[in-house]
Amino acid sequence: MMNTDVFFYLIQVFIGITLIASAIVAIRFRNLIAAVIAMAVFSLALSLEFFILQAPDVAIAEAGVGAGLTTAMYLLAIRNTTDEEEVAE
Amino acid sequence: MTTVIIRTMTRILTPAILVFGSYIILHGHLTPGGGFQGGAVFASGLALLIIAFSRKRVKEMFEKVPLSVFESIGALGFLGIGLMGIVMYTFLRNFIANSGAPFGMPTPEGINPGFLNTGGTLPYLNIFVGLKVLAGLTSIVLILFLILRREENE
Amino acid sequence: MRKLLGIIALTVFSIILFLTAVHLRSFGSPPHAEMDKYFIEHAQKEASANNVVTSVVFDYRGFDTLGEATVLFTAVSGVLMALRHYGGRKK
Repeated sequence: MMNTDVFFYLIQVFIGITLIASAIVAIRFRNLIAAVIAMAVFSLALSLEFFILQAPDVAIAEAGVGAGLTTAMYLLAIRNTTDEEEVAE
Repeated sequence: MTTVIIRTMTRILTPAILVFGSYIILHGHLTPGGGFQGGAVFASGLALLIIAFSRKRVKEMFEKVPLSVFESIGALGFLGIGLMGIVMYTFLRNFIANSGAPFGMPTPEGINPGFLNTGGTLPYLNIFVGLKVLAGLTSIVLILFLILRREENE
Repeated sequence: MRKLLGIIALTVFSIILFLTAVHLRSFGSPPHAEMDKYFIEHAQKEASANNVVTSVVFDYRGFDTLGEATVLFTAVSGVLMALRHYGGRKK
């Protein structure tokens, strides 16, 4: 019992770090495709967190919509326009 | 446009994703998930198919698929089952449960392994909502893709 | 006049929100749970499904799901309407 508690605690700490890091990376990246991949990583970590908090319905919805479909839509939208973000000087 | 690696992996992965999405939709009354989640998984498989192949292949793949008809069938089926519930008692009443019709067997109380032939109106509503969600999300991705490749060809 | 009305509205809404905040339960204690108990006890018999979440979403609160489906339909038709201009130019 104790071991699983410590295990889940450690996983949650890891997921929190991943969430914050991928969010910062998604904002800071100049290359928009890399930023979109960082957002997919964010959604995947969020769905893992939902699963650990015992909400598998929300986890499936988050993984399907957030990591799958939104990434595809963003990639198509980026390829419709341009790869690089313009630097505002 | 895309590489051989992506196309090969898509050919291997897409059937598995589509089967998993159908499983989530059909077993919505037994396992976690349901119409919306299964439809989203199914649509992400189709989005993978759309992204990996060229405009010509995608066009000949999706020309025969009436996505708007699927969407309309989903919405009208949901409303129809809700209105059939009005005849019995209230809107969206579960009138098939425990009646012996398809999906209408009673489920045993307490912990049980889960039987597919239970749930009343829930499996029907799951299928209709899943059809609607997969048609809607796929048509969004498809129209974004068709714009992109049209301007590249010109 | 408008400033007076604004002050009155601000006061009334602040009082209402403050009263609501005072009567909230303390952090971490569960909210009122009569409906939860009803769902957990009766869902297997009434909806004859093992998954209580699905029986809430599609049976007890089915009207809400109908609204969600309508939202999705509106989003799709909005996208198609906004982008039809580009798609229809060549066809």
